[in-house]
Amino acid sequence: MSSYLRESLSEFWASKISKLGVIFLLIVVAVSVYTIATFPLDYGTRYWNNPRYWVDNPKAAEPQWINYFLGDKKLGHTVLSTNMPIKAYLSGGYYLKFYSVSYDLTVNQFPTFINLKLEDVKYHTRAPSATIFITRPDNKTIELYTLTIESPVPNEVPPYIRYSDEPKRILLSGEQYVVPLRLSNYLLQEYNLSRTPSEVIEIGYKKIIFGEITEEDDFQPLKGTYIFNLVLKARQGGDLIGKTTFIIGGQVYGLMGTDTLGRDLSQGLLFGFPVALLIGFAASFITTAIGASLGVTGGYIGGRVDNVIQRVSDVANNLPQLPLLIFLTFVFGGKLWVILVVLIAFGWPSLVIVVRSMILQVKSASFVEASVSVGASKWRIMARHIFPQVAPYILSQMIFFTPSAILSEAALSFLGLGDPSIPTWGQILEYGFDHGAVYLGYWWWILPPGLLIVFSAVTFVLIALGLEPVVNPRLRRRR
Amino acid sequence: MGLGKTLTVRAISLLFVLFFVLFLTVVVIGATGMSDRILNSMVKDRVRGITQELATQITDPEKLKEAIEAIEQDLIVAYGLDKPWYVRMPNMVWRILSLDLGNARTVMSFAGSNRVSNIILERMPNTIFLMVTVLIINFVISIIIGVKVATKPGSLLDRATSLYSAVSYALPTWWLGMLMILTFSFYIRPNNQPLFPFGGMYSAPPPTDPLGRFLDMLWHLGLPVMTLVIALSGSWIYITRSIVITTAQEDFVTTARAKGLPERLVLWRYIIRAAAPPILTNLILSLAFYLGGAILTETVFNWPGMGLLYLQAIMSVDEVLILALTYVFTLIYVIARFILEVLYVIVDPRVRYK
Repeated sequence: MSSYLRESLSEFWASKISKLGVIFLLIVVAVSVYTIATFPLDYGTRYWNNPRYWVDNPKAAEPQWINYFLGDKKLGHTVLSTNMPIKAYLSGGYYLKFYSVSYDLTVNQFPTFINLKLEDVKYHTRAPSATIFITRPDNKTIELYTLTIESPVPNEVPPYIRYSDEPKRILLSGEQYVVPLRLSNYLLQEYNLSRTPSEVIEIGYKKIIFGEITEEDDFQPLKGTYIFNLVLKARQGGDLIGKTTFIIGGQVYGLMGTDTLGRDLSQGLLFGFPVALLIGFAASFITTAIGASLGVTGGYIGGRVDNVIQRVSDVANNLPQLPLLIFLTFVFGGKLWVILVVLIAFGWPSLVIVVRSMILQVKSASFVEASVSVGASKWRIMARHIFPQVAPYILSQMIFFTPSAILSEAALSFLGLGDPSIPTWGQILEYGFDHGAVYLGYWWWILPPGLLIVFSAVTFVLIALGLEPVVNPRLRRRR
Repeated sequence: MGLGKTLTVRAISLLFVLFFVLFLTVVVIGATGMSDRILNSMVKDRVRGITQELATQITDPEKLKEAIEAIEQDLIVAYGLDKPWYVRMPNMVWRILSLDLGNARTVMSFAGSNRVSNIILERMPNTIFLMVTVLIINFVISIIIGVKVATKPGSLLDRATSLYSAVSYALPTWWLGMLMILTFSFYIRPNNQPLFPFGGMYSAPPPTDPLGRFLDMLWHLGLPVMTLVIALSGSWIYITRSIVITTAQEDFVTTARAKGLPERLVLWRYIIRAAAPPILTNLILSLAFYLGGAILTETVFNWPGMGLLYLQAIMSVDEVLILALTYVFTLIYVIARFILEVLYVIVDPRVRYK
């Protein structure tokens, strides 16, 4: 037995196809283990499907590395935080505290948005106000926005803490009342250009803030260092802002880009690895166990049991799978275990038919007859002589079924029947397709998830192909 | 077994498949309470229609209410809603068989009807047309390439097709469809016009003359057909190749060659003639993949067939439509299988003359 196993292994290892398959499998397993170790298990509900978590990311941004291939570089995403004022002084009865960050615009592009995020504001008497102004590389200054921190409510005891649970977000580039007015004033003062606030909205704030006016009255990006300042005008010296963050939206983000919700696609893609493996392994293992045991039972026992098993698996094998998969997951709801059960329910019949016929063949072999003649028990013959003959075939079928389970789950997810609490590659593609990624050319949203599905499926196809000569001795190479 | 008997046995076993699916769906919708919901909404639809009619005849609101309630009770009994689901199971099976399932929730037919049967019947030809086109193209391709490759096993072309069939097994059809749209509609656009349309069956507005309309349809058919051919032809080519190679090693082929028959004759009359039945068997067995492929491809290419209808039904949580579609797809599958079985009998003389 052990020599047989060793021989089979060396036969398997001899082909390049199986080596490649094993290497691919190691990669998939390693990434899955890494993901499970570093991601929380409720990642899907806690982060992936929680739009608030992704609000500071650029929407539908391309991956960062495309800049290596572009002559005209795209703008990276920048998050700048500070928790200490760079200067503070007393003026006219107010304490002025300057929270500043500096931002270098190095490429010939306008940022896509500006957000301001305030956390842990503390004050003691009256509510302070905060003014945001930007100093540009050409030393022009734009006063952009002023906000007042919420006043104390009755019976509240100082110090008053604001924005500690949920940070205060101001979408400066989306603001429609104060910012256009200020920018309109700025254009008039600095360029003697008269533009109404609604015209300012039409031009776009980013162009005015980050641009200089060309001869054709158009805006082009002004490269250089911008200082973003927030001045806290407080009544007490102890009033402060815990953390001030400016987010300057880019056109590229991370390794894999983002989707239209700003979700970091690299995270969703990583999380898809263990899910795909789980679906593939669980479905194929249980399917094979059921199919093989029914096939062995039917073939070995024969008689009425065999007849029933044969009839049932014949009908089940001839069912149109996808419509029934859709129907059942629709009725029972898109939960991962439902999808698994349905995949298993339709997977086993084909195996029964083949295993049964193999058993029938082996049963009539002379070595089985010999065992019977020396009085070996049914179980012993089964375990020692018949099962080992079909075992490699069953193993290869199990591996061969794995990709089809992965592909079926992806197809169901694509039709909107996936488990919404667990991000999978199929769901990323579905969301992308629903949001027009194909029509808008968001290739980074379409290519990677599909390639990963193909990669994981090919892994198992390769291993199954490598097992072929082991299972089918006629295909063995001569030594 | 005679020809008639063989076909009868096949027909019965396929009918059994159809009834199994019907049984499964009816039990599932019964046990989950879905059939109650479906019938209830059918009763409500009927009552609404009758109310409008009666309101013109009966003016007294009290009497009107009574009359409507009486009608509603009658309908509830007529639809079997007063009995548990397993009692009215035969009734439900008949309903599904005759597609008498009331109205879809939001989806409408192109003609504006929301009856389930109207919606599905209108879309059926589009799906069948797509499927049959792909089946024929793939059949021709797999015979031509499969035989060509089989005559030179181990050649570069042979290894390339083996690789291609292994990869196409792992390739999701619908993702391939997206790549096709991205490539041929989004990126390749000569004269700023997409090479192939993004989806649909006709341009908007469609050309008015019949020939222009047909050509417009073919233009829209291009990408879905290409997608399905690329995704599904690999396995067929590989199977054809394997069967032809095995057949070519048979003794009667060697004998034919020894007789000095021209190679062309040997190939077509001795090898392919003998290899045709097993090739057809594999074709029959892969039909389910074509059905699945058609469903997914239609959703990607917005092809107005029953597959796209599936997606619309899922999105509008339309139980009736999903139920009806599952049945109709099974029906098409069973019919297609039977047609191929008949073909098989025609190709394989052993079945005929036994």
